[in-house]
Amino acid sequence: MAPPLDISAYPPDGMEVRLIERFTTLKGRRILEVGCGDGRLTFQYARTAAQVLAFDPDRASIEEALDQQAVLDIRNIAFRVGSVEHLPARGAPFDVALFSWSL
Amino acid sequence: MVHALRRAGQRLPAGGSLISIRPHRTWRPVVSIHTPSRRAPVAQLINSAFDSRLSAAEAALARVVQEGRFTLAGVRNHRYRAGLDNLSQLRTYLELISPPRPRFPAGGRARLLELWGLRPRGSKIEITESIVVTALRRA
Repeated sequence: MAPPLDISAYPPDGMEVRLIERFTTLKGRRILEVGCGDGRLTFQYARTAAQVLAFDPDRASIEEALDQQAVLDIRNIAFRVGSVEHLPARGAPFDVALFSWSL
Repeated sequence: MVHALRRAGQRLPAGGSLISIRPHRTWRPVVSIHTPSRRAPVAQLINSAFDSRLSAAEAALARVVQEGRFTLAGVRNHRYRAGLDNLSQLRTYLELISPPRPRFPAGGRARLLELWGLRPRGSKIEITESIVVTALRRA
């Protein structure tokens, strides 16, 4: 049986995290991710982060992310439908804000 | 996007990092045919609707720096390649991109079909994509 095709226009897993970590570490940090989509990038770094709050306006993408989160059993990510503009201005600080393919 | 950057900045301490990862605005995706001996570029893909969003994102990042909310910590460009076995996989590749999707320039698809028809055994279609990472620090 042929292996499943792995076709994606996104960078190979790990590349973006390596590029980010040239500027700041994500390990042990509180991360705010804006435009997380289905969590493609989130799951690449979340296991080493302290906590992640990840937003995307697309409900279907967040539902996919939640399904995948359950499969991977990663518990330090809170996925939310919405945009960062709706995040209260005051609250617990983050160490890193990550705008991942968010335009 | 500038409102989103400002709001994120409000939740970062001084020295906190804001990282933007996005496609490169001017290093457009390039479709090539990669034979066992060489890489022959065929066409640069076009996406004018997306270009305006990328310009807006760059302007927003510059704006929050001008406002004194952030300082620029660095910019890094990076390329990566996807290898595809055939035209069907190329179609899938393009369809998987969220709209607005890139398209071939006039004559580009015909040139690809012509060159692909003449390919030596073992050739692949290759897409070279480019991203830019901008790092800001909370002032």
